[in-house]
Amino acid sequence: MAKLLAKEIRLFTHPTSWMFLAFGAMMLIPGYPMYIPFFWVTLGLFYACLGARENNDLYYTLLLPVRKRDAVRARGLYFAVMELLQIAVCIPFAILRRALGIGPNPAGMDANAALFGLVLILMGLFNLSFLPRLYKNPSAVGKPFLLVTVFVFLYIVAAELCCFTVPFFRDVLDTPDPQHLGAKLAVLALGAALFVLLTLLGTRRAERIFEKVDL
Amino acid sequence: MSEAILEIRGLCKEYPAFRLKDVGFSLERGRIMGFIGRNGAGKTTTLKSMLNIVHPSAGEVRFFGLDFAQSELEIKRRIGFVSGGANYYPNKKLSVITAVTRSFYEHWDEAAYRRYLALFAIDESKTPRQLSAGMQVKYALALALSHGAELLILDEPTSGLDPVSRDELVDVFLTLADEGVSILFSTHITEDLDKCADDVTYIRSGEIVFSLPLAELREKYRAVELTAEQAERYRDGLIGCKRAKQGFTALVERGAFTELGGHEAGLEEIMVHLDKEARDDG
Repeated sequence: MAKLLAKEIRLFTHPTSWMFLAFGAMMLIPGYPMYIPFFWVTLGLFYACLGARENNDLYYTLLLPVRKRDAVRARGLYFAVMELLQIAVCIPFAILRRALGIGPNPAGMDANAALFGLVLILMGLFNLSFLPRLYKNPSAVGKPFLLVTVFVFLYIVAAELCCFTVPFFRDVLDTPDPQHLGAKLAVLALGAALFVLLTLLGTRRAERIFEKVDL
Repeated sequence: MSEAILEIRGLCKEYPAFRLKDVGFSLERGRIMGFIGRNGAGKTTTLKSMLNIVHPSAGEVRFFGLDFAQSELEIKRRIGFVSGGANYYPNKKLSVITAVTRSFYEHWDEAAYRRYLALFAIDESKTPRQLSAGMQVKYALALALSHGAELLILDEPTSGLDPVSRDELVDVFLTLADEGVSILFSTHITEDLDKCADDVTYIRSGEIVFSLPLAELREKYRAVELTAEQAERYRDGLIGCKRAKQGFTALVERGAFTELGGHEAGLEEIMVHLDKEARDDG
């Protein structure tokens, strides 16, 4: 799996993915939806999948001594690595935001521990819905991404609206750290668990689908 | 006793407009098998089905006595598959593609890889996009030949190559076969098979017509040239009689109609006339 992951990084990664990681700096924007940097990582993954189609990546991969299911598993792992990398880039900017004294986010969720938990759920749902659709017809990348992107935006809108309408979000989760840190860490832990579970489910489903696909 | 390195039985695949029907043949160690058939006959579908790149609906594929579904990983380490040329990652340097590919093979032979690069005059700093179709095939072959593959499966490896390069490749194939490597290659350039194949498998409309040693196949048929009057008189005994620039040509059974003369049939003549016969019957 390590070799396949290295192959994904060297051949599959789209150059814009590295640039999009730098968009973690958006955490410093005073009034801005904090979920948006995480949309960019999904866009980077989409570009990589488009590139993979144009580069005959699946064909190259399947000629290597790997099983079909391992090729899918490595892709799922790569998605997770890039998403976690995006979070890792965002965390220092979230801390810097607080250090610079940039106040509460008027546009929605604050850059705090609960945000990362909710982002992990979002990323897990993205993997669950995008990976199986991607492998159902590997030559049609755009349609699944469009569908999943609509879903991603609905999630973001719903999560941001909760910050204004749902008391638990408004009064507990959407507060600067370290206020209500216990509740926020619980959301973060729940997000991490769901991220792993949903990504595994999405990958397994994609494996089963791809096993029957003809290239 | 000879060792079957590849055995295929009852391989089937259905598409809306095409069916692979009960395909079966076997290949022994150190032998070169040509897999021939017209475009769309099912050559590539068969090769892809063998490796589960296309999902077969039925059939058994065994490499080195191992079932492909059970031992996919080990089998893929011991074979090389080249389909067309290196038509992947066209903008990556060959050195990068090689570095990634190399990491997957424990028995990668760097000396052999360098030797093939030199033999095929491949510049590793180029990208596949900068290579001609023929050079792409050579690069893909260099990769396949550098991990100690015991069986090479090549889909149209000589298409797009100039005659000198094709001849070089045939020499490489013969040397590899002497070293015990088995080669299965599909082609419609039967001239290459005349130079190196031990066995020939012929597929038509998704069905195997024959799978025989080339020498045995040559024993079976003679190619004859006929006038219109002869074509009419011998019509019932001719196989795939067709118009030629001067008169007609056909195959006849080796010992039949010796008065017509003729010559030992080449693979191309056998393929063309058998296909014509099938169409006439069909």
